[in-house]
Amino acid sequence: MTHPNQSILALYAGQDLGWFTRRRTEHHLSRCRECRGEVQAFASARDNLAALENLPAISWKPLSAEMKANIRLGLAAGECVRGARTPSLLASFVQFSNARAFAACASVMTLVAVGLFLQRPTPSAPAMAASQGSILRATASGIELNQGGETLSLLHVRTGDVTYSAGAQGSMRAGYVDSDTGNVTINNLYVQ
Amino acid sequence: MEAVIYALMSEAVDPGLELLETQNRFVSDNLRRIFVQIYRIVGNVADAQDLTQEAFIKALQRQDQLKDEQKAAHWLSRIATNTAIDFLRRNGRVSYCELDAAPESHDESPEDILLRSEQRDYLEDGLRLLTARERAALMLRDVEGLPAEEVAQRMDCSKATVRSHIANARIKLRRYMEKRKP
Repeated sequence: MTHPNQSILALYAGQDLGWFTRRRTEHHLSRCRECRGEVQAFASARDNLAALENLPAISWKPLSAEMKANIRLGLAAGECVRGARTPSLLASFVQFSNARAFAACASVMTLVAVGLFLQRPTPSAPAMAASQGSILRATASGIELNQGGETLSLLHVRTGDVTYSAGAQGSMRAGYVDSDTGNVTINNLYVQ
Repeated sequence: MEAVIYALMSEAVDPGLELLETQNRFVSDNLRRIFVQIYRIVGNVADAQDLTQEAFIKALQRQDQLKDEQKAAHWLSRIATNTAIDFLRRNGRVSYCELDAAPESHDESPEDILLRSEQRDYLEDGLRLLTARERAALMLRDVEGLPAEEVAQRMDCSKATVRSHIANARIKLRRYMEKRKP
């Protein structure tokens, strides 16, 4: 009598065989006690794995909060690194050789520029600063907070390739990558 | 709060609120499922935490894939499986959570915890005999109970390959269990 090989019996024990092979194996098993024992042994080894279904006793709430915070931080760092690696605008334009698309793009940009010019706020910055009390702004060397005549400056270690972003609730962020060490620095300043 | 904000907006702006909400919802909806999936492959809470974070960051950096929620969840599972397999290949071993690394559960007696820990140690030694892909296939099929087709999709390979991994894993594990009874 030819016996099915061990792989077939291992798959049969977990009901992982196709219809035809399963039928053939069943037919063999009905006549072979030795192979039935093999299948039984595979099935019991499989049952032992059930112990892995249980998770260890972990406090899910703090763990999930920590993971969420780390994911957010990882995304911010990735954004920052990607920003530093983005080729310059000039280089992009050099590659951009389609004349028609270029003309269309230039028209749209002109339109946007005119729109922005017409909608720009009329009061000058110092006047607004005086009336509103707090100014948070990005300068070439860092982020600056001006409040009641006093200024707090958060300076960058590096000045090139800094990515700035402003939050709608009164925050400003500057991120950059140190090209020597690869360290990512993210500064966040909030106005209260 | 009164503030006037001046910013050099030429480079980047924060992701929009809507996008941020979508990302947060995506993380909340899938975090536990992905953590459990990875934990079952790597068998260790600390590594599972790191790899879960890595999988989500990889997924969220390609946000265009998140439009279809069902596809996104499936795609995330694939990333998670591959991240865990890559990790096992790099590290070459499974290390299950030590007893004192897990906080005590109020439902279990110390004897139960000890027994479970011994059982895990016993299985851990057996799982070390498997390759990373054999281990992942076995966990997804026999512990998570996924059909072979689903395992193949998650592991980016054919159903025949998955069957081969599962058969090899069961044979190795059975031999181990016969040699070393718990």
